[in-house]
Amino acid sequence: MDLQYSGHDSIPAGKDKVWAFINDPAKVSTCLPDVIETKINDAHNFDATVKVAVGPVSGKFTFKVTLIPAASGDHMDLKISGGGFGSVVDLLAGADIKDGGGNTTTLDWTAKASMRGPVATVGGRVLDAQAKRIISTTFANVRTKVTEAAA
Amino acid sequence: MSITTDGHHEKHALGIPMKRKEDPRFIEGRGRYVDDITLPNMLHMALVHSPYPHARIKNIDSSAALKVPGVLAVITGKDLEGAKLAWIPTFHGMDKQMVLAVGKVLYQYQEVAAVVATSREAAHDGAELVNVDYEPLDPVADPFTAKADKIILRDDRDNKTNHIYHWEVGDRAKTDAALAASEVKIKERMWFPRSHPAPLEPCGIVADMNKATGRLTLYITSQAPHAHRTVVSLVTGIPEDKIRLVSPDIGGGFGNKVPVYPGYVVAAAASVILGVPVKWIETRTENLTTTGFARDYHMDVEIGAGKDGKVKALKVSTIADHGAFDAAADPTKYPAGMFGICTGSYDFPTAFTDLDAYFTNKAPGGIAYRCSFRVTEASYAIERGMDLLANKLNMDPAELRKKNFIKKEQFPYKSPLGFVYDSGDYHATFEKALKKIGYDELRREQAEKRKRGELMGIGISTFTEVVGAGPSKYFDIMGIKMFDSAEVRIHPTGSGIIRTGTKAQGQGHETTWAQIVAEELGLDPQNFLVEEGDTDTAPYGLGTYASRSTPVAGAAVTLAARKIRDKARKIAAHLLEAAEADVEWKDYKFQVKGAPAKSVTMAQVAFAAYTNPAPGTEAGLEATYYYDPPNMTFPYGAYIAVVDIDKDTGGVKVRRFLAIDDCGTIINPMIVEGQVHGGLTEGFAIAFMQEIGYDKSGNALHTNFTEYLVPTALETPHWETDSTVTPSPHHPLGAKGVGESPNVGSPAAFVNAVMDALEPLGIRHIDMPLTREKVWRAIRDAEANTAKV
Repeated sequence: MDLQYSGHDSIPAGKDKVWAFINDPAKVSTCLPDVIETKINDAHNFDATVKVAVGPVSGKFTFKVTLIPAASGDHMDLKISGGGFGSVVDLLAGADIKDGGGNTTTLDWTAKASMRGPVATVGGRVLDAQAKRIISTTFANVRTKVTEAAA
Repeated sequence: MSITTDGHHEKHALGIPMKRKEDPRFIEGRGRYVDDITLPNMLHMALVHSPYPHARIKNIDSSAALKVPGVLAVITGKDLEGAKLAWIPTFHGMDKQMVLAVGKVLYQYQEVAAVVATSREAAHDGAELVNVDYEPLDPVADPFTAKADKIILRDDRDNKTNHIYHWEVGDRAKTDAALAASEVKIKERMWFPRSHPAPLEPCGIVADMNKATGRLTLYITSQAPHAHRTVVSLVTGIPEDKIRLVSPDIGGGFGNKVPVYPGYVVAAAASVILGVPVKWIETRTENLTTTGFARDYHMDVEIGAGKDGKVKALKVSTIADHGAFDAAADPTKYPAGMFGICTGSYDFPTAFTDLDAYFTNKAPGGIAYRCSFRVTEASYAIERGMDLLANKLNMDPAELRKKNFIKKEQFPYKSPLGFVYDSGDYHATFEKALKKIGYDELRREQAEKRKRGELMGIGISTFTEVVGAGPSKYFDIMGIKMFDSAEVRIHPTGSGIIRTGTKAQGQGHETTWAQIVAEELGLDPQNFLVEEGDTDTAPYGLGTYASRSTPVAGAAVTLAARKIRDKARKIAAHLLEAAEADVEWKDYKFQVKGAPAKSVTMAQVAFAAYTNPAPGTEAGLEATYYYDPPNMTFPYGAYIAVVDIDKDTGGVKVRRFLAIDDCGTIINPMIVEGQVHGGLTEGFAIAFMQEIGYDKSGNALHTNFTEYLVPTALETPHWETDSTVTPSPHHPLGAKGVGESPNVGSPAAFVNAVMDALEPLGIRHIDMPLTREKVWRAIRDAEANTAKV
């Protein structure tokens, strides 16, 4: 089961603040929904244990998350891989970060997720709804936390 | 001819609807299945499965699993390599399959490691923590992609292609010429989707190596215990006398419990190494995702005919999806099973069929799910094809069938694809069906409904099966000829024990075999114990699948009883003080010819066999018979389905379903009816609800009973059943076998009925399962096309 998404988000903070925020594993890790615990491994890597409930699949999944910032400072890739209970989820996301003017930053992002095992059997519509919830919650959390930090 | 209400035998037992002797213990919950077996010091095993359909194994880390309290060992493919058990031969010996993955995994849920622990819970907890590092590879999720050979799945094979084999039978040139010359032709691609028998009891084993005696006892869900014992011996080198297989009560098999699965092998290996019993009981998901699937044939069906509807030629070309290993359960010389039965009940002057099988990243299998080796696929192809032809000719499908049936006087009939049909009266059986369901009246009702825009359909399937594998000159599995056997022993007081090489999984052998012996010997069927499934005691046989029990083992039971009767005649002559030639078997007792008052019963003879044997005869009264059938048997049937379709929802209601079966001589009509009910319910599920599906990435989509649907009494239609009797001329009782006919014959009847209902919309064919969504989409698309015009 492969899912692809793309979108455009605006964060009410300057590009430097957003860039600094999304380069910090300790901060990014707090934005993922349903996180039970995180472990920061280094400047670009962290592990996250997440509560998952999709159809009959319910339990803890563990993920390895890697932040891959572009040297240019205007693009970030994010790689997430892991799973649990015989399921595997691999996600590769990328975002172009631009100054939106008026102390805002825009993120043009794409994400491709592939799922294997029981989690892939629950059906596209259920997974799609879950994926959209995770994405929107994550961006909402980034918006809130960057804004809080900027305030 | 009857039995009294207390079951006491009065005259004879054949054809009596005797209640099944095995049912009280099942009804009272006293059946004994593999999972009921608990032995001292027994350990438990759970398997680790691959989430990837195609991936290279980089590393297996067992450390976290071994920390789980109770976990004793984690076994991987590398461990098995040391014991030369990493690979085992597939069913027919033409390929090999991995036990635990070595190097790479080839399908999702493939077995990668096994965890042995002191409890089932600990074993499963440990399995969750075995950390396997995979390098995902691009999957091949269908045989058409496989055909391109861009990704080679089996790098263990010398031949670097996904193509497994090509098989063909018939006269290609003559068939092509006849098709080209035909006035009317149809051609349709039909897919019989991958399905699964889904027995309610999944597979399981308790392996018990007793190091003191040197014997390995395997309590196992096996439809073929002797064949499995031989395979275990050949693979491990353990002498067969040191191996005992016991197949206790089985909660449904339907072909699923014929192959040897990795769980069996690893549990047995673990028990041999550890010297204690090891139990493995499969989960529902493991059963659906790893054990033998059925069907998955993509068939191009072509029929040529004259304008009058007389068929001229049939051609069926098939692409078969075999999954990761060629583990199809077919006799060794028949890689496509009995698919050559695809000319069905019709007198084709010429025919040709060929098949190409491919590896894909899916579970291996191709088992004979309530079907004598690919007969269901063949039957579906011809019965759908005949309806498409009738539609093209604008002819009633009943008329087309009657015009083309093999006639009664043509039997024994040699089909253009090589089978010699034993007997049949297709016209009589079909006429009985048409009359019983009120065919003409239904067609009138349909015409009225069509005027009102309502969708009503009538579907016919007049199929012929080929079962009872089989004659030793043609049929073997890994060299073992497909005979079967029976041992009958009469006790001094006229009761007895019957043992056969078959193994019932719900077929009612404990009753049927007793009825046969009772009929042959004039004894009470209630007083016979039937024992199957223990290789230490049962005579060697090939097991129960492919509707072979009654045609093969049933014949062996009959002929063993007749051997006993021959010996009993000598004893009777001794008791009657008459010459043996003057003693005849009449009215279920021995009589002196011309003096019926001078007679002895078989019970009296049995007592004498142990207390007063005839001079020159051995004491005792028992016989063994190994039966090698001279031909297959050819049961057939006429099925008619009537459906109504809700245009707005796509919902199909099966309003009526009539099944007239002809399985030759009927031993127990109640058991036959029960078998037909069960098979029709499975056929209904296949036609409307079930598919073992995969997405384009090779993910298994139907992995439990919320996704792979099993009909309950709520969904199951009411079945109307009846029979005609055309005995097989070569079976000692004239019996042909019936267990699989309803599963073989019914899918085409259901689909033909739905397509007949949709015919006014111009819809020609929809592949099974005919779910509401599929039917609704077809109606919507057809209406949209009509609107455009």
